Order: sequence, then C-alpha cells, then structure tokens
Amino acid sequence: MQQRRTVSPTDPFPMVIVERLVKRFGSFNALSGVSLKVAKGEKIVLCGPSGSGKSTLIRCINHIEKHDSGRIVVDGIELTDRIRDINNIRSEVGMVFQSFNLFPHLSVLENCMLAPMKVRGLAEPEAHERAVALLRKVRIHDQAHKYPTQLSGGQQQRVAIARALCMQPKIMLFDEPTSALDPEMVKEVLETIVELAQDGMTMVCVTHEMGFAREVADRVVFMDLGSIVEEGDPSTFFRAPNTDRAKAFLNRIIH
Amino acid sequence: MNSLDFSIVLQAWPYLWSGLLFSLSLTAAAFLVGMFLGTLFALVQHFELRVLSQLVRSYVALMRSIPLILVLFWFFFLVPIVLGHLSGNGRPVPVGATYTAFITFGLFEAAYYSEIIRVGLRAVNKGQFEACQALALSTFDTYRHVILPQVFRVASPIILSQTIILFQDTSLVYVLSLTDLLGAASKLAQLHGRLVEMYLAVAVVYLIISCAASQFVASLRKKYAIAGARR
Repeated sequence: MQQRRTVSPTDPFPMVIVERLVKRFGSFNALSGVSLKVAKGEKIVLCGPSGSGKSTLIRCINHIEKHDSGRIVVDGIELTDRIRDINNIRSEVGMVFQSFNLFPHLSVLENCMLAPMKVRGLAEPEAHERAVALLRKVRIHDQAHKYPTQLSGGQQQRVAIARALCMQPKIMLFDEPTSALDPEMVKEVLETIVELAQDGMTMVCVTHEMGFAREVADRVVFMDLGSIVEEGDPSTFFRAPNTDRAKAFLNRIIH
Repeated sequence: MNSLDFSIVLQAWPYLWSGLLFSLSLTAAAFLVGMFLGTLFALVQHFELRVLSQLVRSYVALMRSIPLILVLFWFFFLVPIVLGHLSGNGRPVPVGATYTAFITFGLFEAAYYSEIIRVGLRAVNKGQFEACQALALSTFDTYRHVILPQVFRVASPIILSQTIILFQDTSLVYVLSLTDLLGAASKLAQLHGRLVEMYLAVAVVYLIISCAASQFVASLRKKYAIAGARR
C-alpha cells in the first residue's frame, strides 16, 4: 500500500491554496465559497454530478476562468489580475483537457516544442530532446512526426499529457481526461496518468473513473452545487460515504 | 468577315507581356498590403478594441459598399487636393497614376481580406485559445503560432478566390490611363482590327494564370491537408 499524502492543517507550503472561491456565470453560482488545499505530491480526485463546479474549480486555478472573489495561491504565487502573476502560475501548472485541444496544424513533436521554446526560452535542440523524451514516456514517440488528426483519441490525449509535461509543471490539472474517449482507449490514458502519479507529480483530476480514483488518489473530493460536500480517502469514501448526496451520486455512477 | 489570324498576337506579345507584368505586380502588391492590413483590421475587431474597432468596421463597410472604380477615381482626383490643402499652399499635389493604383488596390483589398480573416478567427475552436493559455503562451505567440496559421489554412480557398478577383480587377486601371494586360490587348485589338483574336488570346492568359493559382493553392492544401482537416 502506497503512502497517502494529504495536506496537514499545519503544512506551511501547500502547492495550491484555494480560499472561499466564488465564481458566477450570470446569476448562476458555479462556485460558492470553495476552499481546498493541495499538498506537494498529493493526488486529488474531484468528482460530482455535472454542473457541480469541479471543472470550473480547476479552470480557475490557472485562470482560464476568472474567479469573482476569494483567493488562489499556487506554489507561493498569489493569483491576481496582473499578467505576470497569471503567466507565472500558468507556466507551473499543466492542464489536460477533455477534448485534447492539440494544435492541428503542428506535428506531435511541434505541439510539444512550441511552449518550451516560446515561454521557457529553450533552444530548439533542447526542446526537441525534451519532447522526444516525454513522448517516449507516454509511449508515443514513434508517432512524433504525425499530425494530431492522424492519431486515435487515446494517442492524442497522451500527446496532450506529454505537451503539458514539456513545460515541467509542478502540478497537473486533468479536466475529465477520458470522458471524450472510446471505452477501449480509456485504459491507456489512465495508465499514463497512474505512472505520472507514481513519479510523484502533484495532481488534481476531475474524473468519474472510480477504479482509477481508488488506485491513485490520496483524497477524493466530492462536489455538488458549487460546494465541496464531502472529502476523504478513497477507500472510506467509496465504501461508506457520509452524506446522502454522495451516496446518491455513487449509486448513479456505479449502476 | 476575315478568318482568324493569330499572328497579330505574336507580334504584339512584348506589349502584352508588359501589360501582364503590370497586372501581376499590382496583384502581388495589393495582396501583400491587403493581407497585412486585413489581418490587422480583423485582429482589431477580434480584440474588440473600442474606438479602433468601430473605425475599422466603418472603413470596411465603406470600402465594400463602393465600386473599386469609384475609389480609384476619388483617390486619383481627391487625394492630390487634400494633400495640397495639408501642405498649406493649396495647390494640388499629384500622386501619380501608378502610386494611386498601388495604394488604392492595397487599401481596397484590405477591407475584403479583413472580412475573410475575421470570420476565420471566429471559426477557431475555443479550446485552441484555452490550450495556449494553459501553456502560458503570450497573446502574440498564441496568434502568431497557433491561431492565425489555422485561420489562413482554413480560409485559403476564399483568400484565393478573392485574389483571383483582384487579379481580374486590375483591368480597371484603364480609368487612370495605365495599361494592364486587358488594356494592352484592347488598344492593339482596335489598332489592328483584330478584336476576336486579341480578346481570345487574353482570355487564355487569364485562364492559365487563374488555373495555375488554383493548382498552387490546392497543392498547398494537400501538403497541409491533415492540418486543417478537423478539430
């Protein structure tokens, strides 16, 4: 049994601090005062019914959605409206989307090299070397010169993971990384994420893959209606959830 | 009626050639200026810069509602007067027919290209912008390396159509007494009384050049086919 790593109340340097986060879309409260801390190396699985705010929460962490009030600190950098803070945080936070969002006009290799060269200032040979190494890690290096549309969904998502890793982020955010995939491709992507978790990457993953959550999560956070309803270690959460809402949700996704 | 005699076309070839070169260079210059300004105009509207985008919208609407031939006239006759007033002594400052043609075509085409690119920008998937944000790419790099290349690829057939129309529209420079391919042909046709031969020959030249341009773009699209295929 691997050692669970969760944030202790006294941890002075959590990787992410979210405090009383509020996000509205018009009159709809997507997040109504969410607080969450993520320790270095911690793996959190966020789950909950659709519209519960879990995607919005992780999209606020790298400022793809702008929060209305509350506080976000990533690796000691407070997220303000200043472009510099936003970019500093974004370059430390990797993100993987449900729909991959690879750049269709660039080859797999170029997809992985663009940001390290433009943002990190890497020279082409170094960016190339890093991209090849990470594509090898996600076992897709033999497709490096193909274009995204020539790959299967599972392959595309693994390229997207490699692309994010090429920035050498300190934390990875996954926004339903397997929801858009055909069932037979879910496994290859989850395996890639599990390996990443075993390497000690800090991650927050929005997913309904409960087997995956059991395997890697240090903590499962259950959200509903824009709030965190319940959290706990995965074995407890899946076996005996405390709240009725979590019970109802688990019943729905298991059957 | 005389039978067709195409020897006149061969004799007239040097003159036709110079006309063709003028048409081509005017097309190339107007394409470059038009695409550059058009992209700029489209971006100004895309970013919804308050005052600027209002100005650009008005400019595009104005240019698109006036026939090119009228714009050429105005530019040729009015700009010298305006320049004269600006310079203070009130005497018109002639711009010259060639400059008028190049500047007007560039500015006019910019309005059309900007509409094409504006629509192309709207068609780019939102996820592409989000991926760039997540990778911390600057706005400049986002547009330079990710968004605009996709727009140009998707829009290339429409950009090509517009450029072929531009190439054919260069014949309008006859109102400025400039001689393009069609102008050269019609002068010689009337001089020698060989209208059918000349106009047939010129039509073939237009046909060849337009087809070659289509082929060129088709080959480019084939080369990058995977790229714009689907998102």
